[in-house]
Amino acid sequence: MEQNTDQRLDREDSNSPTAETPSSTHFLSKLRELLFSSFAKFVARKAVFYIVVIFFSVSLVFFVIEAMPGDPVAVMLASGNPPPGADINALAEIMREYFGLDKPVLERYVIYLWNFFSGNLGQSYHFFPVDASTIILYYLPYTLSLALPVLFVSFFLGNWIGARAAYLKGKLNETSYFTLVFCNQLPPFWLGLVVIFLYVLIFRNIPPIGAATQGVIPSLSISYFVDLLEHWILPFLTLLVVYIGAWATGMRSMVTHEMDSGYVRYGEQLGFKKRKLMSYTQRNAILPQLTGLNMVFNGIIGQTLVIEIVFGWPGLGLLLYNAVFNYDYPLIFGCFLVIIIIIVVGNFLIDILYGFIDPRIRTGHGG
Amino acid sequence: MWELLLKSRKAMFGLAVLIVFILLGTVGPLFVGDPHAMNFNLMGKPPSLGHILGTTSYGEDVFSQLCHAIGNSLLVGLIAGSLGTLIAVLVGAVGPYRGGLADRISNLVTNLALVLPLIPLFIIIASVVRGLNLVLIGVILAVTSWPWAARSIRSQMLTLKEREFVDLARMSGDGSVRVVVTEILPNMFAYIMMVFVILTGSSILAESALSMIGVSTTPTITLGYMLYWAQHETTVPFWWNIWWWFIPPGIVLTIILTAFFVIHAGLDEVFNPKLRRI
Repeated sequence: MEQNTDQRLDREDSNSPTAETPSSTHFLSKLRELLFSSFAKFVARKAVFYIVVIFFSVSLVFFVIEAMPGDPVAVMLASGNPPPGADINALAEIMREYFGLDKPVLERYVIYLWNFFSGNLGQSYHFFPVDASTIILYYLPYTLSLALPVLFVSFFLGNWIGARAAYLKGKLNETSYFTLVFCNQLPPFWLGLVVIFLYVLIFRNIPPIGAATQGVIPSLSISYFVDLLEHWILPFLTLLVVYIGAWATGMRSMVTHEMDSGYVRYGEQLGFKKRKLMSYTQRNAILPQLTGLNMVFNGIIGQTLVIEIVFGWPGLGLLLYNAVFNYDYPLIFGCFLVIIIIIVVGNFLIDILYGFIDPRIRTGHGG
Repeated sequence: MWELLLKSRKAMFGLAVLIVFILLGTVGPLFVGDPHAMNFNLMGKPPSLGHILGTTSYGEDVFSQLCHAIGNSLLVGLIAGSLGTLIAVLVGAVGPYRGGLADRISNLVTNLALVLPLIPLFIIIASVVRGLNLVLIGVILAVTSWPWAARSIRSQMLTLKEREFVDLARMSGDGSVRVVVTEILPNMFAYIMMVFVILTGSSILAESALSMIGVSTTPTITLGYMLYWAQHETTVPFWWNIWWWFIPPGIVLTIILTAFFVIHAGLDEVFNPKLRRI
């Protein structure tokens, strides 16, 4: 048996072009190949799933909005200024035909799907004749500039604080626990109001609502950037407090759990330094924390959309909110599509990150 | 099990806080009078002896509104929480027990719904549905917020269904529904309770968010309704001047949510012995 395998190995070595290289490198490259193929399969499976998600949610929103009572054409006519003496009914007919609203629902659904996947969102009803995609591309950076920094800063700061909180003793430990839970449970939209209120109390000034002070023209200058930063910092801090609480609560319980495990006790018996043990427990505690990344990411995106409405920050949340009130179908669809794409891309990247960190997930064991 | 729960300081603390608010929300409205009674001599007055939380800019008593709001918000939470738990149990428990195609479908639906962005969906749905009332909002919240609960119940189900007592019940000829209802669900009771607690809390939060941004304005007073009107009153130049109107609902909301979270943490410690020392 042993001889047999040796022979096979010999033959393989002589056949392969890299016969001179040591067999360990050969083995490594084989392993890498195998790993990448399973990894590719994992990625492909996830990609298909997320495409189904996009398809499903986009269809869901189409039919929900179809059920919306109210006529977008009537709203458009009411908000516009038809020329005096114009025949309103004829105008409505022309608009219906122009926007394709006179076709049956199913036909519109097919057209709608086709347009979506070819990247054509159509013209906005309310901001006619501007394309919905132009408007969305203008609002999109504002949402991302709020959500992504919150995600990263709260992750590092929250986990750092949570790990420290686990080492507190006695009354202080309990106090820190309740403080962190309280921070986590603060409703962001209300905290936003309190932050604005505190700003007024402290600075005795009109709070920075919106994205820029009135009269400031967007340009590549330092004064504009400072102005933008002033408007950005309040919603950012509001979300940060809540999500630091979220990460810290989880990290604290994870580290407390790890501190109780065998290897820490053993390390203590061996006389390891406390610092060393702390770094071990934190490293083990961060992995389960990462599995919560998906949920927190979805939560942050959702809360950002609400916070934008509170602070008048011109992101997708505010855009969607206004579009819903204006019956602006193309804009509602477009906003929702972009939001779902943000969520899907984020979740996809996080899944790939897991796959890298934890091989059990990509092979399907325990995943 | 119940003795342990009584010993858990966290769960008891959360429950005590919650009971105070439940009393405030159910018995309170009987004593505080009409929340919409306007007194034009007392518009936007700060807290005083007569009105312990001051008056709104329309001369309504804030404390009276708050008591009604607590009751109604808790009611929305109760409706959405119980209905959501029911859906989660149906999807999360029955699918994996039957196995095969049913399991795969229920799992796919759960994972799919888990990724959907809830808040934009709420905004769209709430603006579509006309004649919103508390029950309807509760149902909408329940229909959209069950997925993670179904997932956690599913994972619990997968471990429980391999246990001997389930096999014994199956071998003695019980049908699958009967096995799930009489053997497995009682063993998952703690998990179902935890799911219920979290779903209720998150529904109260979601309802407040929707009411506050003005998407689902119902004529019923909830915590979010108070926050909405505190921002949108028109008789004062700046809403932040009447701070006694928008601060109390938020504090109450935070305390209620913290109580729910602490009850959940307490339950978790009691029923997950691994975590008990935390």
